[in-house]
Amino acid sequence: MASNVADSPFFQQQKAKGNIIVHDPPKFDLESYISNYDGFTRLDRLHHIGSHSAYLAVDAYRIAIAEAKQGKNVKLYLLLVEELSQIAPNDPAALTDTAWAEKKTREVQQEQDRLDHELKSYKNNLIKESIRMGNEDMGHFFYACGDWSAAHKAYMRMREHCTSNKHLADMTLRLVFVSIAQKSWLGVQSHVAKVDAAQLKGDEKIKLEPIISACTGLAHMCTSNFRDAATNFIHTFPTFLTLEPAAGITWQREVLSGNDIAVYGGLCALASMDRSELQNQVLANSDFRNFLELEPHIRRAITLFCNSKYSACLEILEGYRNDYLLDVYLSKVLSTIYGRIRTKSIVQYFIPFSCVTLDEMATKFQLTGEFATIEDELETMINNGTLDARIDLVDRLLISPPTNPRYNVHADALAMAEKYDHTLRLRLTRLNMLAAGMEIRPDKNQPREGPPGTGEGLSSGMRGIGSRLGLT
Amino acid sequence: MSAELLNILLGFQPDAPELQQKREYDTTARNFVSSLGNISAQHFLKGADTPQDVLSVLDPSVNSIAYATILRIRIAAAVDKKTTVPDVVKPGGSLWNKLVLFLESFDPIQMRYAGAEWRKLLEYVEQIARAMQTPAIAISPMRSAMIRLDPSTGTFTSTHLNFIRLCMECRSYVAALPILDNYIHSLPSSIQAQVREGLEYSVPCADTATSGEFIHAKSGHSDKISLSDVQEYYVLGAMAYMGVRQFKKAHQMLEHVLVVPAAVANGLMLEAYKKWVLVGCLVDGSHKSVPRTAAGNAMKQVRACAKAYEALAEAFSQLNNLPKLKAQINAGKDTWDEDGNVGLVNELQEQQYRFYVSHLSRTFSAIPVSNIVNNVGGSAEDVTTYLETLIQNGFLNARLERNDKPGVGAVLRFYLDPTQGPQAKTEKQQQQALLEQTERTNMLADQVKDADYRLSISKEYVEYIKRQNKKAAAAAGGGGGDAMDVTWDDGDMDEDIMS
Repeated sequence: MASNVADSPFFQQQKAKGNIIVHDPPKFDLESYISNYDGFTRLDRLHHIGSHSAYLAVDAYRIAIAEAKQGKNVKLYLLLVEELSQIAPNDPAALTDTAWAEKKTREVQQEQDRLDHELKSYKNNLIKESIRMGNEDMGHFFYACGDWSAAHKAYMRMREHCTSNKHLADMTLRLVFVSIAQKSWLGVQSHVAKVDAAQLKGDEKIKLEPIISACTGLAHMCTSNFRDAATNFIHTFPTFLTLEPAAGITWQREVLSGNDIAVYGGLCALASMDRSELQNQVLANSDFRNFLELEPHIRRAITLFCNSKYSACLEILEGYRNDYLLDVYLSKVLSTIYGRIRTKSIVQYFIPFSCVTLDEMATKFQLTGEFATIEDELETMINNGTLDARIDLVDRLLISPPTNPRYNVHADALAMAEKYDHTLRLRLTRLNMLAAGMEIRPDKNQPREGPPGTGEGLSSGMRGIGSRLGLT
Repeated sequence: MSAELLNILLGFQPDAPELQQKREYDTTARNFVSSLGNISAQHFLKGADTPQDVLSVLDPSVNSIAYATILRIRIAAAVDKKTTVPDVVKPGGSLWNKLVLFLESFDPIQMRYAGAEWRKLLEYVEQIARAMQTPAIAISPMRSAMIRLDPSTGTFTSTHLNFIRLCMECRSYVAALPILDNYIHSLPSSIQAQVREGLEYSVPCADTATSGEFIHAKSGHSDKISLSDVQEYYVLGAMAYMGVRQFKKAHQMLEHVLVVPAAVANGLMLEAYKKWVLVGCLVDGSHKSVPRTAAGNAMKQVRACAKAYEALAEAFSQLNNLPKLKAQINAGKDTWDEDGNVGLVNELQEQQYRFYVSHLSRTFSAIPVSNIVNNVGGSAEDVTTYLETLIQNGFLNARLERNDKPGVGAVLRFYLDPTQGPQAKTEKQQQQALLEQTERTNMLADQVKDADYRLSISKEYVEYIKRQNKKAAAAAGGGGGDAMDVTWDDGDMDEDIMS
């Protein structure tokens, strides 16, 4: 069954586009995994899993199509059905329900007209609160239809009609929400910053803080800013898990769950922090412990890394690679994160040694398929400066080069002195020329040409000076 | 030969007790030069080639001023209006011998006063040598005359340019090095006479005087020089260094051309830039950014015209893609040919292997030669010999060894510790180098001070300060009375000029 699916035209296309396809079954159960989520992210995640996992594709699409039919997003429904029909043309869900689609489109259009009309009448009445609510309704409506940019615009229009800080904060949170759906991470960052800057007090602020840090972390992670992402995730308050809806959004269900925070935060921390930081800031962090308890294997991986058991740590992570590739946010940055953790492990592993055999390295660090041999991987690491070592290809050793600080300081001093000496001479030449009134001035008699033109003139005039003087 | 004339000629004795004071010496020497100028040339031409010839009476190392003047007049008379070179001034002729003798033994202090004669004599040497089709024989006398007058040879004169041109024509690159190694620290200045003469500092015969003080625009040592003369000197000098394969010095020399003050670029700058890019590759393996002081607009123009060279440098630095350089070289064949840079470009291709191999030392401590062969091509023997030459010439801190393991063959093993191997320096050597560098830097600092001083007594600067003071006085609301009291060698302002 799975092989059939993998050979379907849809996955062939995905392959041609260079997208990741996961063939093996993941560790999680689709039903229970997806039951953690609500709203748009549920559909989005199902769609992601469906289009990336050959094993779960059909199930995921079936659930997604059933879900989509409940909503107003006709475009998404049609897309899902189209994709499923390329995977399993005989599946009953793969048949487009044209009647439903037409009816829904009509209904959506009517609702939009109605909302437009209402908003217009509010505007005529000049009641700020009504206009604000009218715009908000429009925003909700467009969001439900999947028209992100229209939703974004509608929410933006609320700004001038907001009368309290609470309204402002709600509006900005809505904007964050839409930006996440759009996956425009820079927008997320700027809106989150605005929420943070909103002048809320007391309970309200405390309520919003976990949301802010979680969303900031997510935005940083998706822009490959792992260090900042890690700091934000690990400082998310555990109240996030039990938060009441803010701005009408249940963030832990409609954006990212506590489990996600544990995984994202743990992986980003592993990729960007050293051992003592991991120990102090992640494992000993009582806030983040609540999240880590949800994903014990991440906790185990971090503990193993701190205890210098790098191969065991990498093994655990490798085991979950498929799961994470099916995560809608992680899949794009996962290979970078894993690559960083791996290089960091190799560097950390090598620090106490002066010499390790390559075979030992190869057994400790199983190849991930990116490089043909461990030598190639080490060579790349040395060449880009992450690993300070030398490879002995004859005796198959990895050697830590001896350092001689005294010699180096002398050599550096000498090189620097020579450089300064030369710079000073250049300045002296220039100074003398200025003092003697020597300067190349533009030729005023000739008509001005563009720089390339003058250049041509120059080069033709000087052409062959070398050969004329006999030095070639 | 009148006794009267001889009296005048011998009237100036540099060792005379009354001339021990530098100021006295200065006045007497000046008067002597001007009195010689008043004697008509006819007097000096009398009695030539007789035993009583003034030239045989005078000692070139003691009566240098008089000797130079007479020699100059004699040669002028001999070559005057003649199409061929007369025998007396031909190499081996009596006047030629006297000329060469003089240039190698004159009194440098006296020659500070007779700059015009000194220059004229050097020009004769060059002209005669050229006319005889043997330009090379002029190199040595010219060089000794230059070094004798100014051991630092750091004040640029027209002779510098003539000399380097001559060396390039004869391809005597090595002969040019003693002059080229002394960098140019001053250009002949045009300080007004009253400023120059009113100061103790400017007595040309002073023991401490640097060449920037006694060689100036009016001293006659140099013809009028223009910016392109200086640029040409640097470009030719750099080419001489390339000729002897001292690429680092060539690179530095070319940078002097790039930093000239310029609103627009000129041809020499372009020429220098092209060579600079190529030589930069040979020195560092890649081409660097231009010196900070280089004029931005001019550099933009130059770079627009030298794109091909930058592409070549880019290809050179890609050590993991060796064939690319070859392709680039072939693609731009005509360009290199037209610019006369074929030699350098070929050098680039040869040297890329060197950089490739030395780059390996950053990654490997030992690598079988066969691996290198796989990457660069060629036979194992060729590569082995090539590596051996690299090691022998000190380009590579490594050794070749045989390995007993089957199928491995020769192995290139790098020295990891910088204190071992052929490139290693002992601490003593390092210290020595540091000391030498300190000395050079101190000397340079003095020269900078001199240049700064010259700048601070230039007319423009004095006027600038005057204006500044006036402004300051006006701003303070007081009269202009104080403004004149502020001296022009104000320490703070000097530093501004330097920075």
